[in-house]
Amino acid sequence: MGSVALRDIRKSYGAVEVLHGIDLDVADGEFVVLVGPSGCGKSTLLRSLAGLETISGGEISIDGSSIVHLHPKSRDIAMVFQNYALYPHMNVAKNMGFPLQMAKVSKSEIDEKVAKAAEILSLTQMLKRYPKQLSGGQRQRVAMGRAIVRDPKVFLFDEPLSNLDAALRVQMRTEIKGLHQRLGTTIVYVTHDQIEAMTMADKIVVMKDGHVEQIGAPLDLYDRPANRFVAGFIGSPAMNFMPAKVENGQAVLENGAVLAPAPEGLTEGQAFTAGVRPEHLMVADQGASANVTVVEPTGAELQFVVDLAGTPTLVSTRDRLHLRLGDTLHLEVEAGRLHAFDSETGVRLG
Amino acid sequence: MNRSSDRWLAYFLILPVVAAVLAFVLGPTWDVATLSLTQFVMGQERGFGTLVNFEALWADPVFGTVVVNTAIWILGGTVFCVLTGLAVGAYLAIDSKVTTALRALILLPWVLPDVVTAMAWKWMLHGQVGVIGDAFTRVGLSDQPISFLGDPDLVMWMLVIVLVWRKMPLVALILCAAIRSVPAEQIEAARMDGANAFQRFRHVILPNISFSLTAVTVISMIWITAEFTLPWVMTGGGPANSSQIMSTYIYQQSFQFFNWGVGSAMSVVNLVFLMAVVGLYLYINRRSWAAGGSK
Repeated sequence: MGSVALRDIRKSYGAVEVLHGIDLDVADGEFVVLVGPSGCGKSTLLRSLAGLETISGGEISIDGSSIVHLHPKSRDIAMVFQNYALYPHMNVAKNMGFPLQMAKVSKSEIDEKVAKAAEILSLTQMLKRYPKQLSGGQRQRVAMGRAIVRDPKVFLFDEPLSNLDAALRVQMRTEIKGLHQRLGTTIVYVTHDQIEAMTMADKIVVMKDGHVEQIGAPLDLYDRPANRFVAGFIGSPAMNFMPAKVENGQAVLENGAVLAPAPEGLTEGQAFTAGVRPEHLMVADQGASANVTVVEPTGAELQFVVDLAGTPTLVSTRDRLHLRLGDTLHLEVEAGRLHAFDSETGVRLG
Repeated sequence: MNRSSDRWLAYFLILPVVAAVLAFVLGPTWDVATLSLTQFVMGQERGFGTLVNFEALWADPVFGTVVVNTAIWILGGTVFCVLTGLAVGAYLAIDSKVTTALRALILLPWVLPDVVTAMAWKWMLHGQVGVIGDAFTRVGLSDQPISFLGDPDLVMWMLVIVLVWRKMPLVALILCAAIRSVPAEQIEAARMDGANAFQRFRHVILPNISFSLTAVTVISMIWITAEFTLPWVMTGGGPANSSQIMSTYIYQQSFQFFNWGVGSAMSVVNLVFLMAVVGLYLYINRRSWAAGGSK
């Protein structure tokens, strides 16, 4: 069991408050990803959960019992650090066995648990090697092994893939997800990479400036972002935003071009910020006209930027269109894919 | 410029250093080595190629005391210097306003001239007028004034204490810097892994600073072996040779009694010892570099 509850977590450094009352529930066995731009407080929140930071206010409990006043070692939480934090003077087996050695587990039991973890992580051949003799991905696996041997209630990952190259990152992403499915342990995972968040999480927590912007399943966040920040942060390439107004039930751009039917819940004449994902814009025979300004073929898909009523707008399509700069074309929004946000507050409308 | 003129320029550029080393290091060393094999009678050379100086040293009853005292001086000094330095360094590595101020202040003993330190301590430890003995009697630790530097059983240890007071600050600062450069994530990982403060020090910090620790130990040993002013000004080897160490005895034999031969023979013994220490240091360094350094 390993359900985590955070209630009104506050953290201040002197007069500066970096966490403004965070509430979060993590169910047993859930894979929760905290995501947000640098400085949003996600790492601080994770470190508070680990006990490496003392919180200024609020309550943290695991399985219903408070852990706020417990030392990190008594919280039954294991953490994997961004720079792996392996002990350079210990070989892989010693590194992985260290938490057990500290817990005064017998030598034979340590060997057994280390061997088992090494097998899960395919590190059996590496047990006698030192961290400096390992590649980045292998070091990352050792760091995970050190967490696994303890069989904790909760795993914490602090941007574990940031130091790996792109190809390895994709591979490790799959490995971590596979590991989670195999072990079924609760994971709280911090990243600034929304693709990691989308691909791995059961539940994503989007944070900004010490506030939680939205909590939800990856596709919920993608389909119904609660505000403009989440809409722009989740999804790659990012969502296009443009000023619009409701006229005759249609979302009309500043130059009078009709984009799509206005989302429900908006009133006639209301001005709002329209949001459309690049993949939801389609080239059509009619619709808002736009000039092509940039064309970027990526192979699998074609991305191009158009000038849509004065706003540079990115379109991505799997169709092999033959576009040239300066071409004029017509764009439509896929049905029901137009998002509306309050121009002032950024809150989702409709 | 072609390759060969490059090479000549390079030789030319290192010439001053080579000349200085020859003149001030190798030259005197050669002189001492030959002097140690030369017999002197009444300050007159009486034949080269003899081991009489070493035999005289062996027969000298004071030399035994000197060896024991030197062992206390070098080993005791080094061990206490490094141990207190490690403790103080670990304390200074903690972030706080007090330690920030102390990090600067602690160098005070280090910047004082040797003679000033020696004289100040000599008077503080004085049997009749010393403040330390006075404080001892006032507090009631002792009925009568203690002559710290006059007691043959105490004097060597008093010298070691002053030595540690003087040499420890730099050791502490070097180790403090080493401790502060231990990656914070490793220490945090150890906290998560259940290590208490002592275990974190033992299993994470110590191995990480082992390189600096060996270096600072060997360097302290060399400093202490070469230290002369402090013991000479404080006790001059007395009372009755009970604080005579290698450096003071060499000085006394050579420049007060003019026994050049015996003084040189002792210098040679001293040199061999120092070379052994340096050799050990290089061996340890080479071994850790062969293993890829400490990281």
